[in-house]
Order: sequence, then structure tokens, then C-alpha cells
Amino acid sequence: MLCNEAQRVQAYFDGELDAGASAVIEQHLAHCAACAALIRDLQSTRDAIREEGSYDRASPKLRSQVSDLLDRETGKSGFLSGFVPRDKAFWLGMATGIVPTALAAALVFFVYLGPTPDRLTADLMSAHLRSLVANHLIDVASSDQHTVKPWFAGHADVSPPAVDFPKENYRLVGGRADYVDGRRAAVVVYRHGAHVINVFAWPQSGSSMPDILTRDGYHIACWKNGDLAFCAVSDTALDELLALTRLLKDVKA
Amino acid sequence: MDDKRRRFEAQALPHLDAANNLARWLARSSADADDIVQEAILRAYRGFDGFRGTDVRPWLLAIVRNCFFTAAGRQKRDIPLPENHDTEDEAAFVDQSPDPEALAMRTDNGRKLNLLMAAMPVDFREVLVLREMEDLSYREIAHITGAPIGTVMSRLARARALLKERWLEEVEGVRNAVQ
Repeated sequence: MLCNEAQRVQAYFDGELDAGASAVIEQHLAHCAACAALIRDLQSTRDAIREEGSYDRASPKLRSQVSDLLDRETGKSGFLSGFVPRDKAFWLGMATGIVPTALAAALVFFVYLGPTPDRLTADLMSAHLRSLVANHLIDVASSDQHTVKPWFAGHADVSPPAVDFPKENYRLVGGRADYVDGRRAAVVVYRHGAHVINVFAWPQSGSSMPDILTRDGYHIACWKNGDLAFCAVSDTALDELLALTRLLKDVKA
Repeated sequence: MDDKRRRFEAQALPHLDAANNLARWLARSSADADDIVQEAILRAYRGFDGFRGTDVRPWLLAIVRNCFFTAAGRQKRDIPLPENHDTEDEAAFVDQSPDPEALAMRTDNGRKLNLLMAAMPVDFREVLVLREMEDLSYREIAHITGAPIGTVMSRLARARALLKERWLEEVEGVRNAVQ
């Protein structure tokens, strides 16, 4: 039997009421059995959908279709747009003399040789995508930092902090060992709403990393803390990814 | 790459999964969902200069929804749920889980839940996806669906109650069959 307050109870459950109205509903829940049961039902329905409901992500195929689509659409805007050099500095160098040209060439050579942010980015992207599609998201499933952190000691070169942030809705779901840029990395896995965030960590070596980068709708944010280099990768909104990096930066390594 | 494309990739494409998931739950077919998402991205890109809000996700999802209904209207049918549940599509509804134990449970309960949700009326499916999977507010859901907030609340209540009722029937049915 539904109580007259059922709709407001649902709004309370969905976080739609202000503090005053919430307090009224909390009092009501304390002595209305029907509404207390309703809250439990709402919670179990939500848990079932969030845990078991199929969240169908965009496939790599769809992502490349979308990318092609945008290429065609942007290509349409002007005949020359496809021919305008992407790296203006390089062409400027070509145009203004030998020395800049040589520098540009040296730069190209350097970029071609070294372990580069590009290679790092590509590795991070493929490790992240692999974790989503290849049934290899977590090796140790736990929301308990006292389980995840020691697990790394035996399985990775570093043992980064693995902290659950329930209040901010960044839920620790586990850890995994992975390879990035030819090194073993420890990966702390978070869930934020429907999104997975992989936080990669490895011993800092002074090689360059991007600061913040967006590729194909995925964001990558990197930072250093103590002896460790970190990169967080996800398809959440950039603000939401950066909020997690701020939380992690505040954690003592 | 021009500035509009860059902004679009940074602000809209992070929501491609959300767009795909909504399209998938509306169309209940991955091939149709692919078409809907591509059409929606194209429309979104073309209209991106006119976008003045701060939150791209509800805006993009509203476009996805419009594309779905346009496609459904064009085909003069409400894209029925496939009769034969033993399809590739259904297998895709059952998410892959990294944990074998969880996977075993999910293939059973998860499949039932996903089929029950897929069998619900489209008005109910969309509010469940937007509220429980995307964690959107009533206001955002109202914006996406073009329904008043009061309607969103009552649809959500009915959708949740119906899902629970059908879930219990399913579980009871299984229990009776075992006895």
C-alpha cells in the first residue's frame, strides 16, 4: 500500500529535496512502514540496475566511424582545410631558412626515436580500452585499500595508494598489473557512476608525460607525486577526472 | 584540427558511451543504435556552435533521443523486441564481467534483469536508463524527454514499481518451476 508521501520519498531517495524537506521525510520514514519499505525497494532496484544492468559502451568500431564522420564533416568546410599543414611551426621553419629547418628536422628525429609522450599516450589508451573490452579490468577486486595496496607489493613494481572515496562517489573497485611504456605499472581501478577510471602508476624516470590530453573522447591526466608517476584515464567528463586526481594528490604516498 | 572540432571532441565525445547506451536501450538493437548515434553526433556537431549550456551530456542525449524517435517514426513501427531471445543482441545485453564468479551470477540474474528492462515500454526504459545508469537529475531528464518534471517523477515511480513487480514474478516463476 502506498502512502501519500510516496512521491516525496522517491524525490528524497533521488537526492532531489533540499535539507529542510529531507529532514521532514527522514522523520516520516522513521514511523511509516510503507515508506520505509518503499525506500528499500528503490534501493534494491537501483542496486540491481547499476550492478547487473547492461551498460553498452561505444565500440571501437563506432568510435572510428564517428571519427571518420567528423573528418568528412570538417573536410567539407573548405577545399584547403585538408591541405593546411598541421604543424605550422615546421612549415614556418622551412620557409625562413636553414637553421630553423635543421632544428625542426632534429626535433622530428628526436621525436621519432625516444620514448615519447605519444607512445605513452598510445599505451595508456590501449591499456584502458583493453581493460574495458578484454575481460581484464581487475586482478584483485576489493573496495578495501588494505587488500588492494598489499596486493601490488607482490604483483607490480610500485605500490600506489588505493583509497576509496565514497563521499565523492569515486569508488575503489580493485587493482591490476599492466604494462605501460615497456614497464610494469600498478593500476588502481575506480568507478564513477557508470564510468571506469584507470589510474596507472610506475616509478618516476624523468621521461616526459602529457599534462592533460584528450583523444577520441578519452581524457588522460598525468602528474608526479614523490617517486611515482601517475596517469588517470577515463571517458568521464574532464572535470570529474580532474576531481579524482586532486583527491589522489592529497593522499600521502 | 580546427577549434570547433577540438572543442567538440573534448566536450561532447566523452559522452559517446552514454549516447550509445541510451540509443541501445531505446532501439534494443546494436545495429540501429550505431546508426542513431552517428546521426546524433552529426546533428550535434552541426549544432554545436549554438550550444550555450555548460553540461553537454543532457544536450547530446536529447539529440540521441530525437534521432531514435525520428528513425522509429520513419520506419512506421515502434521497433519491437525480437521474439527470438536467443540472438547475438541478447548476448550483448549481458555484460562481460572480469570476475568469473560474478559472471556466472550475472549470466543468470543479469540476463533476466536486462530482458525485463528491455521488455518495458519505451517511456519507462528511458527514465530508468537516465536516472539509474546516467545518474541525471529530474530537471535534466525532463529536458531530455521534453516531459514536465511531475511526469518524469510519476513515470520513474511506475517504471521502478513495474520492474520490481516483474522481477518478483520472474523469481517466483523460477521457484515454482523448481518445486
